[in-house]
Amino acid sequence: MKTLKRLFQFISIYATALGLLWSTKIIYGFSDYLIPPPLEVLQVAIQNGPHYVKAVLNTLAVAIAGHMFAIILATAVGLVGRLNTWPGNLTRTAAYNLQAYPIVAVAPIIFLFLGDGLISRLLIAAMICYFPLLLSFIGILAKPVEEVEHFFRITGRINWRLELSIRTFENLDKIITVIVGSGTMALVGTIIAEFLAATNGIGYIIRKALYQSNLAKILIALFLIGLCSSMYLTFIETIGAWIKTRLYGTRSSPYKQI
Amino acid sequence: MQIACRNLHYTYPGADFPVFSNLDWSIEGPGFFSLFGLSGTGKSTLAKLISGELSPGQGEINYPKTRRILYTHNTERIPGWDTVGAHLRSVTPTSKTSLLNHILKDYGIRTYMESRFSGLSMGQKNRINLARYLVQEFDLLIADEVLANVDEPTRNQIIERLKTLFPQKTFLYISHNALEVARFSRTIHVLSHESTASANRIHKTDGLDQEEGTEAPEELVQERVYAILRSAAGTNESRL
Repeated sequence: MKTLKRLFQFISIYATALGLLWSTKIIYGFSDYLIPPPLEVLQVAIQNGPHYVKAVLNTLAVAIAGHMFAIILATAVGLVGRLNTWPGNLTRTAAYNLQAYPIVAVAPIIFLFLGDGLISRLLIAAMICYFPLLLSFIGILAKPVEEVEHFFRITGRINWRLELSIRTFENLDKIITVIVGSGTMALVGTIIAEFLAATNGIGYIIRKALYQSNLAKILIALFLIGLCSSMYLTFIETIGAWIKTRLYGTRSSPYKQI
Repeated sequence: MQIACRNLHYTYPGADFPVFSNLDWSIEGPGFFSLFGLSGTGKSTLAKLISGELSPGQGEINYPKTRRILYTHNTERIPGWDTVGAHLRSVTPTSKTSLLNHILKDYGIRTYMESRFSGLSMGQKNRINLARYLVQEFDLLIADEVLANVDEPTRNQIIERLKTLFPQKTFLYISHNALEVARFSRTIHVLSHESTASANRIHKTDGLDQEEGTEAPEELVQERVYAILRSAAGTNESRL
């Protein structure tokens, strides 16, 4: 139901944008070369549809892999960054300083060293969504939930696992929102990487269409990107909702009985 | 259990004025004691200093290190992933299971065992939070407004049961309710509103130490209440 709602929202926005584009064309009398008519867009979609779907799925697969990698890395580094020791302080300082640097500016260096294959795309996708995730995770994991943790601390039951469980549980909505938001960024990162130098994916197709000044191809590519993005974000939200239901349900306690 | 503070100083980081200066204070348990004072006089700060949650800037707090002090306050919650029953069972030492069952029955919380903490009323939450502390090992339990949201008859019943169940333990009960502390405490330690910046004073007033099955005379209760309120306001005049 949620998937359908999100798809409907996307298709509505996309249709409105197309409507505005074609209205502008009519009002200002732009040529078919600049803004293709609906029939041409439809023909391009029929001709290139399967190829573009394959390309966008390729992009999505890389984005998901990069996103997962970034989540794992951000969790691991966030665990260190939450500590009030020198490694924790160093991690936090490094994270805050490094995130200020635009990753896109570093992307050409990655292509120079790693070539235009899968690894470069994966790395750029992961790096683009990594820092927002890391900063949120550090913020969430470093902040005590005093009302819940106090009992465990004063009775000597607290340990890092319990602390992590409490803080994650109490901030689950925030964490899910950040992960969903970073999912979009992972997709954006992958497309940017493909647009810059890769030889695969929907970003690469957009780049080729740009060189050919073919707006119809770009419009189809954008439609597929939006479609995939909506479905992926709904998928993450569904997983988040499932985790929440499970945690509110039958979860066993992470602290031992004494 | 004896606990004594000497020459205690404490200032919150970034604050202009100390909460305590040259504070000397002590209690000797077992028994039910109260800490009373107007808002902002430092009751919770003193509780946190005694329980080790805060470290004093100067001065010392002495008590036998083998003794266990617990501090609880009324905004505490249990983790949202557990039901009340699952949580209470998890945090109750095996040797205290029967005590837990007694408390659940006496405090009327048995019916909420399958409920989630977030779905309960404030009064129910207060009782559940206190119950989980009572089944821990402790020598002194500092209870900071832990029954603030519980209705008066139930609160009185809980305090009376607590005194019956734990005659060998020491309780330091923090409350704004002068009537309650006058009625049930052995001694009421009153943080005065008019303590000077150079030295804090805690006045001690005898309470009526009402036990289960007894009833303190109403005139005596009123008399103690006035004494407590006069101490809290920092005056000896009978203007209240």
